[in-house]
Amino acid sequence: MSLKIAIIGCGKIADAHVEEIRKISSASLVAVCDLEPIMAEQLATRYSVPHWYSDFSRMLDEQQPDVLHITTPPGSHLALVRQALAAGCHVFLEKPVAPQSADVRAILDAAETANRRLTVNYWPNFEEHALALRGLVAKGALGDIVHLESFYGYDLAGEYGTALRRDPNHWVRRLPGQLFQNVLDHALNKIVPYFTGDTPQVQVLAYQAGSGTNMQGGELLDELRVMMRDGDISAYVTFSAHARPVGHHLRVYGTRNTATADFQMRTVTLDRKQGFPSALGRLVPPFKVAKDYFRQGLGNVNHFAHARFHYFHGMHRLLAEFYRSIEENSEPPIPYAEILRVSELMDAIFQQVYPVVTA
Amino acid sequence: MKVLVTGAGGFLGVHVVERLLAHGYLEVRCFLRDSSKEEVLRRLADANPSASIEFVHGNLRSRADCARAVEDVEIVFHLAAGLKGSPAELFADSVVSSRNLLEALEARANPAIENTRAVLVSSFGVYGVVPLGRGARITEQTPLESRPELRDPYSFSKLRQEQLFWSHREKFGFELVVLRPGVIYGPGGGAFSNRVGLQIGPVFAHFGGANLLPLSHVRNCAEAIVLAGVHPGANGQVYNVHDDDLPTASVYLRQYRRKVRKIRAVRVPYFLTLGLSSLVESYHRKSKGQLPAILTRYKAAAAWAGNEFQNAKLRGLGWRPLVSTQEGMAETFRFLRSVESNNEPE
Repeated sequence: MSLKIAIIGCGKIADAHVEEIRKISSASLVAVCDLEPIMAEQLATRYSVPHWYSDFSRMLDEQQPDVLHITTPPGSHLALVRQALAAGCHVFLEKPVAPQSADVRAILDAAETANRRLTVNYWPNFEEHALALRGLVAKGALGDIVHLESFYGYDLAGEYGTALRRDPNHWVRRLPGQLFQNVLDHALNKIVPYFTGDTPQVQVLAYQAGSGTNMQGGELLDELRVMMRDGDISAYVTFSAHARPVGHHLRVYGTRNTATADFQMRTVTLDRKQGFPSALGRLVPPFKVAKDYFRQGLGNVNHFAHARFHYFHGMHRLLAEFYRSIEENSEPPIPYAEILRVSELMDAIFQQVYPVVTA
Repeated sequence: MKVLVTGAGGFLGVHVVERLLAHGYLEVRCFLRDSSKEEVLRRLADANPSASIEFVHGNLRSRADCARAVEDVEIVFHLAAGLKGSPAELFADSVVSSRNLLEALEARANPAIENTRAVLVSSFGVYGVVPLGRGARITEQTPLESRPELRDPYSFSKLRQEQLFWSHREKFGFELVVLRPGVIYGPGGGAFSNRVGLQIGPVFAHFGGANLLPLSHVRNCAEAIVLAGVHPGANGQVYNVHDDDLPTASVYLRQYRRKVRKIRAVRVPYFLTLGLSSLVESYHRKSKGQLPAILTRYKAAAAWAGNEFQNAKLRGLGWRPLVSTQEGMAETFRFLRSVESNNEPE
């Protein structure tokens, strides 16, 4: 029997959810909902979704979905999750989970109490290369982890940034961490599997670079550097709206080797300890890295040829795993502890960036 | 009489304000989203000391901003619309914003709604041209698109916007004039409409060929909007807006290449365009969207089947182009050339 899926929140990201849900044969999208009927109608019409609503309770009553995708601004998530759980739905949440970690904890507790599955759209971590990097770490190819560098770039001139620049009342600009909060999940969720302590040290630098972002309604900080330490492991997190090309990568430094996952090129490369002596030890490594790239370039061509190279392919895998966890009554794909740690780190970061707002 | 112009800071908006002043409408409220666009309007205000030009900054997605915008105005020239971005963005900026604006007008005590006129700048994109076949003449009577979801999201959002205006007029009884411009061009505008072709990687795929290009110079378009917008007999009417002496897409491209920049262009005849569209569409479907369906047979038929156009109804109001197509193109290409020279690396 196929899972009945519904979506609440018919903004930009809802398109991606619709497209990925439709690729999963065990699921069928039955309805979409938005408080603004025009937005619900346009999404339903463009994708031939059978029903659309502007009344959330009515959608839950009439459609009784198995899974609800929540793609509304994060301030609304806690209330929507509670209502969805009460109606018996499992929940797939768009990031950020909630403005503050207290709400994130409440959301996760509510899901556990209701015995429903919940996960968050941390889709890049379910790309092939991201999983390959986790595999390298798991099998000990890097040795013990010493340091992590997570870089996330963002183009404010692009489609998503434009909406933000033009509208001083945009919901992102009203988040405690403003722009950073809407993107930092993707940088922090790569660190938290390795940061398991309760109180990591966090040191932050944030600023607005130049006037290149042409922002309506005043200043918006758009460059962020975070230095962190948890026991023997340290990490740098960089968010940049100005660096080009727009980068997205994770570099893991181990006591044996160092690996880099590039989320733009979809590759993972390994910087290995050298066995060759002297000058030879400097000659050989570039060829080894070149071989890594060549092999993975070919692998990506293969994925493309088999139609597995979509922008949101990681989301496809995450969704498939999440739906499977519902059908098989197994653990959801992302541990709740990691979801909570991402939000706790965000709290710690934003308390330093915007102390007045978050104090 | 106080009039409101939404999108006043935009490419078309500035010219509409200029034409309003030229026609003696001196109380103009300019509603702008982007405050950096105010400067050029300020210069217009300085050049017209007897005019009273007011600036209201805001976003029509906000009902409170809409309420401020419509206070005391008798005519609303609604130009603001989403031009690019995601479909959701286009609908929010064109349809949700329009609904907010209309509801703000309807909620107002004064002037009464029946004494209010809305002038909507719609688009040629709302016509359902595909079933008509090649060479069909587009008039104001041409039926509206019945499969908007198969068109580009911009055309879809403009159709819903226009339908919203007509349905609110039916219910609330305000006056409504709708203008449907073709391709608005001029200094400050872009180089190519999709009707000429699409830039695909390093190559410009020239799909338009010998089709007529329904150009509307931004000043001529603004003149049409103002003339129809204030004409007593225009209530409830639709006007197609384009210039006389329309060039073909290939003439436009040839002149662009001669006067602005030598771009690498490949002419694609219509039958090949349809074939290519079938391929793209079929790959898009089979690969479940691995590459976007920028070409589909439906979109291709809407954009490149080729139509004839007529502006007789607009001319019946006394509209005459202020700028000839020849002058307009020359002026536009000079502007685009200057932009290109500024972009060239030193």
